[in-house]
Amino acid sequence: MSKSAGTSNPEYVNARVRSRRAGLYEEDDYRKLVRMSPAEIARFMEESPAYEEEINRLGSRFSGVDLIEYALNASLAEDFEDILHWCEGELYGHVARYLRKFDAWNVKTVLRGIYADTEREAVDDDLIRAGEFDGKLLDRLLDAGAIDEAVEMLSGTVFGDPLADALEDYESSGVLVPLENAVDRAYYELLRTDDLSGEALAEYREFLEAEIDFRNAINALRLARSGADLDPSEYFIEGGVLFTAAELSQLASNTDELVARIRESRYGDALSDALSELEGAESLIGFEHALEAALLEYADSLGLIHPLSVTPVVSYVLAKEREVDNIRAIARGKEAGLEPDEIEDELVIL
Amino acid sequence: MLEIAPQLASVVLQDAAPAIPPLSAAALGVGLAAFGAGYAERGIGSAAIGAVAEDEDLFVQGLIFTVLPETLVILALVAIFLVQ
Repeated sequence: MSKSAGTSNPEYVNARVRSRRAGLYEEDDYRKLVRMSPAEIARFMEESPAYEEEINRLGSRFSGVDLIEYALNASLAEDFEDILHWCEGELYGHVARYLRKFDAWNVKTVLRGIYADTEREAVDDDLIRAGEFDGKLLDRLLDAGAIDEAVEMLSGTVFGDPLADALEDYESSGVLVPLENAVDRAYYELLRTDDLSGEALAEYREFLEAEIDFRNAINALRLARSGADLDPSEYFIEGGVLFTAAELSQLASNTDELVARIRESRYGDALSDALSELEGAESLIGFEHALEAALLEYADSLGLIHPLSVTPVVSYVLAKEREVDNIRAIARGKEAGLEPDEIEDELVIL
Repeated sequence: MLEIAPQLASVVLQDAAPAIPPLSAAALGVGLAAFGAGYAERGIGSAAIGAVAEDEDLFVQGLIFTVLPETLVILALVAIFLVQ
């Protein structure tokens, strides 16, 4: 499926992506959605061209919140598959680099499924067929009976070598953690930004660095809040510019300093609201949502600086992910009987 | 050295006849303008196709924007009438 040859076609991809971007739900729609029951949400989604097909296809098999959940996953997968399909040349490489996180997710899901002896169907439902892996490889992975069989199948992919290295650890320890870490590390290794040069790509690189920085900050805060006696540097992701591993483990124990550090960085302006919230309300979820919103806004502004680059595509991918997360939060919240106001606090809206 | 100076001057000043006569130069200009228009349309055209694929109502707008660089060629044609 690799189409890295030829010239890239950012004009075509951007036109399509921007059109889809315009079709995403807006703040008003969310306000309506939080006041609906799951069945009404499904009906509302059916009216939108993005979900119509999925709702109709899955409507006979599922109902209620499950229907919404599976329709969201299916739509997400189909959308990103489409984007990869449109891209050619260099652009394909840049988009695939970002979408490989779904490959990482799928590999982990399959490994966990095999480990826990889960039904093939159940694992299949949890896959997000959005990454670079094609359907055939995923089907063969699902059919795999043992972990080493699955690792063998992945040998040709980017996860092959790290997984093969980790297999020994897995066999001696019997827990999945080494394999999962290998997948994560392989993914973040691929995100590394060293090879991106040029003006437009410098923006993309800045965006990837921001994502890694934010993830590091959230991880550190989570560890600090949970009070667990874990070393944050073990979870440190290379490639960011804001922290080093040693600094992060120091800052994790001192939230005030961490906040001050972020406020002084280049993200300070974009995150000032979120930072005040973190200092004031002491709510980590609010801060995480603010970080996500800031990342989304950041990607959007990059798309305006370089209209014909990979950044509008990445910004759409992020926006779509947020939308799927938001609708899922609404549906789950409704199922759990939360009030509309409480659900609205859980949403990430620009 | 001095003997060839007049010949050199006549070549430099193109005393006899220019290397490219006016009409040919104008024609070349039109050709180059068409080349530029074609290159501009490449990007606009692929963006227009992308937009139409998502929403068919955009067909007319897409078509109009795609042929806008064509005005370059029409303006370049003026050069032909000027030298004739």
